Amino acid sequence: MSRNSAATPTLERRATRAAAADRVADAAGDRPRRRRRRWAGVAFVAPLVVYLVVFYAYPLVENVSMSLHRFTRATYITGEAPYVGTEIYREVLTAPAFVPTVQQTAVFVVGSLVFQYVIGLGLAVFFHRHFPLSIVLRGLFLVPWLLPIIVSATTWQWMMDADSGILNRFLGLFGLDPVWWLGADNSLWAVTIANIWLGIPFNLVILYSGLQNIPADLYEAAALDGAGAWRRFVSITLPLLRPVSAITLLLGFVYTLKVVDIIWITTTGTGTSQTLATWAYGMAFGKGTSAVIRYSEASVVGTILLVLALVMGVVYLVVQRRDQEA
Amino acid sequence: MNTTRTVRRSAALLLVAALSTTVAACGSDDSASSGGGSSAAVTNIGFWDPYPQYDDSSDWAKYVQACAPEGATITRTAAPNTDLINNLTTAVKEDNAPEVVFLDNPAVPEASASGLLVPIDEVGIAASDADPNLAGPGTVDGKTYGVPLGANTLGLYYNEKVLKDAGVDPSGITDWASLNAALEKVTGAGHKGITFAGIPGEEGTFQFLPWFWGAGANLKDIGSPEAVAAGQLVSDWIGKGYAPKSAITDNQSASWDLFLTGDYGFAENGSWFAKSAADEKFPIAMMPIPAKDGGAAPVPTGGEFGVVPLHKENAQAHYAAAKAVIDCLLSSDNQVKTDNMLGYFTANQETRTEQIAAEPVYTSWTDAIDNAQGRTTDLGTAYLQTSAALSKAEQAALNAAGDAGQVKSAFEAAAQETQG
Repeated sequence: MSRNSAATPTLERRATRAAAADRVADAAGDRPRRRRRRWAGVAFVAPLVVYLVVFYAYPLVENVSMSLHRFTRATYITGEAPYVGTEIYREVLTAPAFVPTVQQTAVFVVGSLVFQYVIGLGLAVFFHRHFPLSIVLRGLFLVPWLLPIIVSATTWQWMMDADSGILNRFLGLFGLDPVWWLGADNSLWAVTIANIWLGIPFNLVILYSGLQNIPADLYEAAALDGAGAWRRFVSITLPLLRPVSAITLLLGFVYTLKVVDIIWITTTGTGTSQTLATWAYGMAFGKGTSAVIRYSEASVVGTILLVLALVMGVVYLVVQRRDQEA
Repeated sequence: MNTTRTVRRSAALLLVAALSTTVAACGSDDSASSGGGSSAAVTNIGFWDPYPQYDDSSDWAKYVQACAPEGATITRTAAPNTDLINNLTTAVKEDNAPEVVFLDNPAVPEASASGLLVPIDEVGIAASDADPNLAGPGTVDGKTYGVPLGANTLGLYYNEKVLKDAGVDPSGITDWASLNAALEKVTGAGHKGITFAGIPGEEGTFQFLPWFWGAGANLKDIGSPEAVAAGQLVSDWIGKGYAPKSAITDNQSASWDLFLTGDYGFAENGSWFAKSAADEKFPIAMMPIPAKDGGAAPVPTGGEFGVVPLHKENAQAHYAAAKAVIDCLLSSDNQVKTDNMLGYFTANQETRTEQIAAEPVYTSWTDAIDNAQGRTTDLGTAYLQTSAALSKAEQAALNAAGDAGQVKSAFEAAAQETQG
């Protein structure tokens, strides 16, 4: 905040100077020069606009258009894709797989976010108090992030093997029955656990840097007033971490919503582990049990995912604005 | 004030310069390709196959490259089967498809119906003398779109040491009941039962079909009691612990690796492992997969077809190159060499007899390959949809771990899906 207010006068001053320059130019009757300057402005903005149109607007429009036309493999050759309006949307929304897939996606996203955030925050607070080897240990927690997902997902698949996986052997030590982790009924929890593990470093890093921005004297003052550790956490850490938490959760939501790789490698999206993202992937490329390519259906699901992410973005903006007003 | 304007102007100039060079680059690219492609022979021949296990230094790659006609070179690209047809779709659209593709046989009807392929007689390739059961998938609506490069199929491998230890006589396994009895004995003796690939998708269906057909079921009705019986068989294997639970996601390589641990008695797997099986640490033999009530079950044919993708510009030159390469790799005289390279059987019974005579490990496969059925022969382009539904049903059956009610409803639901 304070840095911003210091910057504003300089900017204002510069703007005033530019406006004054314009007036001088006007007074001289030098209109072409002004027009030229406008063109220069356009030229400066153009690369960004071109980039946005080519890499953002065009694919989005194409995706929506694909969901309104019936695309088949032959479309690529003949170019024939009859316009069918919202017919494909109706087909997808009434498909028997739709409601369970949405529920599974909700469990996957909410479960992942809650545990990633809570564990990430706990670790961030833990590492905030410096102690010997804390930097090394914190570095080790980043390993899940650095490993290629094909490696970590395959390792999870081995560990969760029902017959000889290490997880079931561990349970066996306590006399518990082996769990069929990757079977249809449990696969949603299995991939959620793997995804939580994968997302903790991200939460840890961002929340840790958020913690470092909280002035230490606040804690000192609170301690002098007799506030215990828990009270300091609830009344200082959590409120001051709010903006950082909001962006962590928003980014986490978007990342988790579109997760395909870890699910696909461990279970191929079978059983309850099918989410909207893996469903769309299977249909778009004819993988898994979706041998026939269904481009249009996949782009319907893609559009739904997009709208969901957009809604979360709006929620984030609203929360942020309310925070600023408060 | 003056300096800012100079900066702006030079930035704008830079931008213009950058844009114009891009435009120029596009322009020169265009002229080069149209100049070179007027009607000249193709000098760089594209060749795609689904064998990523062979890299550029492999014998297979060198063998393919040696088939380039005078003055041309072959650029080989390998990708898994499921990716190959997707890549081919976009390549044909952009008119930069390779000259020759080795395409998995169940994908041929879909590819030709989508207009990706050219009938081989239009390219001047003579119809092959392949056996009808092996050539079947290449013919769609009376037109032939591909030359079978050979065939492979499935058999029931077994670990002779494990069976001996468990007191099982392999010659006594003639139907499902005796197979189940053998599995019970093997697991009872402290070994593991059987590995197979139940992975979702075409690969899983391919492995399920011998049981499906062996029960007397037909792909036109995948909800029949015979189909349910096949689902119940594999479901019970999981439920009784005869098969590993990882079968639901194992592909054929993974399930073969499990068998190679030496713990398992049986493995359903492909003839392409027959040669390497002879060199393993323990003795491996093969029997035809038993049908439900005895005799050998019909097994599906695996293997690829040499196909020629559609070209728009300079098409005749592309097709001429394609013909040269396919003749070199797949003509009756050369096919044996190609197939030995890949561990496949040739598609023609006469040459196959010679091939098997020269390679004793193949003897036990003779009947299996003669009786193998094409997967798409009954249904044509509708096969992929049915296969997907069947794969879903098998997945549900495996997860049911023996629960008869769940197996039955899974197959009935799958049958409805194919009708809807």
